[in-house]
Amino acid sequence: MKRIAVSVAVWLMLLTVLEGCGKQTGSSDVFGRDNAQKDSVIIAMGVNSEPEAGFDPAYGWGAGEHVHEPLIQSTLTVTTNDLQIAYDLAKDVSVSEDGLLWTVKIRDDVFFTDGEKLTAEDVAFTYNTVKGESSVNDFTMLDQAQAVDDTTVEFHMIKPYSIWPYTMSIVGIVPEHAYWPDYGQHPIGSGRYMLKQWDKGQQIILEANPIYYGDEILMKKVTIVFMEEQAAFAAVKAGQVDLSYTAASYSDQTVEGYELLSFETVDNRGFNLPAVPSDGGIGNDVTSDIAIRKAINMGIDREQMIDNVLNGYGTPAYSVCDKMPWFNADTVTACDFEGAIALLEDSGWVAGDDGIRVKDGLRAEINILYPVSDSIRQALAADSSNQLEALGIDATIEGVGWDIAYERAQSEVMTWGWGAHTPMELYNIYHTMSETGLAEYSPYANEKVDAYMDRALASSNLEEAYALWQKAQWDGTTGTSLDLPWVWLVNIDHLYWSREGLQVAQQKIHPHGHGWSIVNNVDRWSWVQ
Amino acid sequence: MSINRRKAMLVLLVLAVSFLLCILIAGVLNTDAAMKTDFTRKNQPPSLRYPFGTDWMGRDMFARTIAGLSMSIRIGLLTATISALIAFALGSAAAVMGKTVDIFIGWLIDLVMGIPHILLLMLISFACGKGFRGIVIGILCTHWMSLARVIRGEVLQLKQSGYVQVAAKLGTGRLRIVTRHMLPHLVPQFMVGLILLFPHAILHEASITFLGFGLSPEQPAIGVILSESIRYLLTGSWWLAVFPGISLSLIVILFDYIGGMARKLLDPASAHE
Repeated sequence: MKRIAVSVAVWLMLLTVLEGCGKQTGSSDVFGRDNAQKDSVIIAMGVNSEPEAGFDPAYGWGAGEHVHEPLIQSTLTVTTNDLQIAYDLAKDVSVSEDGLLWTVKIRDDVFFTDGEKLTAEDVAFTYNTVKGESSVNDFTMLDQAQAVDDTTVEFHMIKPYSIWPYTMSIVGIVPEHAYWPDYGQHPIGSGRYMLKQWDKGQQIILEANPIYYGDEILMKKVTIVFMEEQAAFAAVKAGQVDLSYTAASYSDQTVEGYELLSFETVDNRGFNLPAVPSDGGIGNDVTSDIAIRKAINMGIDREQMIDNVLNGYGTPAYSVCDKMPWFNADTVTACDFEGAIALLEDSGWVAGDDGIRVKDGLRAEINILYPVSDSIRQALAADSSNQLEALGIDATIEGVGWDIAYERAQSEVMTWGWGAHTPMELYNIYHTMSETGLAEYSPYANEKVDAYMDRALASSNLEEAYALWQKAQWDGTTGTSLDLPWVWLVNIDHLYWSREGLQVAQQKIHPHGHGWSIVNNVDRWSWVQ
Repeated sequence: MSINRRKAMLVLLVLAVSFLLCILIAGVLNTDAAMKTDFTRKNQPPSLRYPFGTDWMGRDMFARTIAGLSMSIRIGLLTATISALIAFALGSAAAVMGKTVDIFIGWLIDLVMGIPHILLLMLISFACGKGFRGIVIGILCTHWMSLARVIRGEVLQLKQSGYVQVAAKLGTGRLRIVTRHMLPHLVPQFMVGLILLFPHAILHEASITFLGFGLSPEQPAIGVILSESIRYLLTGSWWLAVFPGISLSLIVILFDYIGGMARKLLDPASAHE
């Protein structure tokens, strides 16, 4: 009896605490911020957004898996809102006919925050350092960077790389004179902000660079706190943050004094369909049938999936690069359930007694993997499973860790997330590797697709390169959108709770990673009364 | 008709075991319903149709809770039984196989008990690939020590008892002494220890699954359900945590109760303690 009483008491306490959490309201600020001070902002990001290795581009800051503007450092180029290239430090960028030499003229009025002048030597040092050190981004196309004079730097390439300007937009320039092994912990740069304070595991405080060479910085102080999703929502309900990332699962809530902001992204989710028959642990007999891959692509109702899983906050995805300048809009596939059924029937996939299709004794069954830590991908996998069942394809789902996901994706269907501000994403996913003759993340090969992408990289003209990237997706006769080694499902809108009065500047389409992209232009944010 | 305490206890014991068996079987038969997602019915509060409500993927939380409890009971039964057998074998070996073996098994018990329980469990489960296999191996490796100590002490005590020594002096074989004179005395301790291992194993299964080192998120397991519910408590979906949590507590209390009753039935003298 005593045990029961104790158990009941514990549950009552738990409920009381939870109820208490839910009722926290008011505008008191545990961070000590004076709300009248209207040139600072407190932003909540996910705990995974804290840069573990610090603010060093060589270890992924800005130029890592999730690309963003480095804020503390300047970059040679920047991407505009429509993902075209503009200049930051650079004044002129030119490339030789053979694409093997890029020459960049830089501004001569830029100083690091320690007062030292930024020169071409610093630029060359930065690129030679990231080439040697970076394990999170690919710089193998670069032979070396060389300072010709104080304001001219040359990049000698091993192979032509037409999208080099996109790489230049994410690599922050570090000072050669102040680059120590612990640079990432105490960074010095010439960007819009300086690192004022870093309480690891908790928060980062950035202050405006008083000698910044660009436009006036409106938001003088930016505090970024790192929180789990539910903690961030609790912080919003308690009025403790000005802007907080959130998930679609909270989008039907209302919080007094806050509005829900939704930003378009190329943060896509989709799954790979191994395009070769099973052999030696690679490939899949069911998904290697093009009829199955086409039927899945045609039969999935992406709009319904967005309503089901994302509460309507997303857009259908048809490629890894929707809305980017290098996206081929001809690859958009309308949902056609009846067409998908007819295709399967015509291809010999006949429904069995249990409704699951069979062809030559092979059952149409697949296992969709998803990362255990990602509830959105779990829900997408579950919804895909439901929709595929209607097509007569038996799809089970299974959560796996990243430690085994890459290997299993060579023979099974895996739910992935991609999306970057560079066409290299297409190359990484679809281009074959010389060692295996197959693409890296899911077995697939198409010589014509490879050739288009190779030509796109070798092109000395970005516009011409865009056209070639588009042909790799679909040239009228072949392309990745015909072969369908991947089926793209949705682009997930990035959602934020924003305190009323906070004016978040116009955002460019966010890439994969619901983190630092939102503050790319935090210097342009402002408050209105 | 008058029912004495022993009979009443037996009836209660049978009822409790039957209840647990019902949940076990219902869960096994119900796995598909527990995993079925239907986004047209997501986030529904408790109702007559869905007594425990539905979750963010439209899964029936009643079916999911029953299947989760069933999974917990299965893991509890499997791990508690094997752990108890390991404990019996090692405890007996320590008592009868000489000083060296006794010292080694004592050292082994101290070693395993010296590492924080949940930490060791997480490490073993992770190293074994998590999932059902990881949890079972993890619990097996970390739940035998206390019972092994008890069995060792009992066997040592029995070795010194007069009737065992007389039997030995009369030339009775070792095996016969163990089976005829020692085992009947060890069975009550063993059975009670085994039953009391169930709730322990179930709670640890739920704990490490909650922490992400156990069963996969699509599995209907109480640890998974409670872990997922955290995200939705702030949105008012209290039913995702309350019903599965209370159900788990009830099952654990029931096992504890059965253990207590079994002890009194098998060792009546303990009723006076």
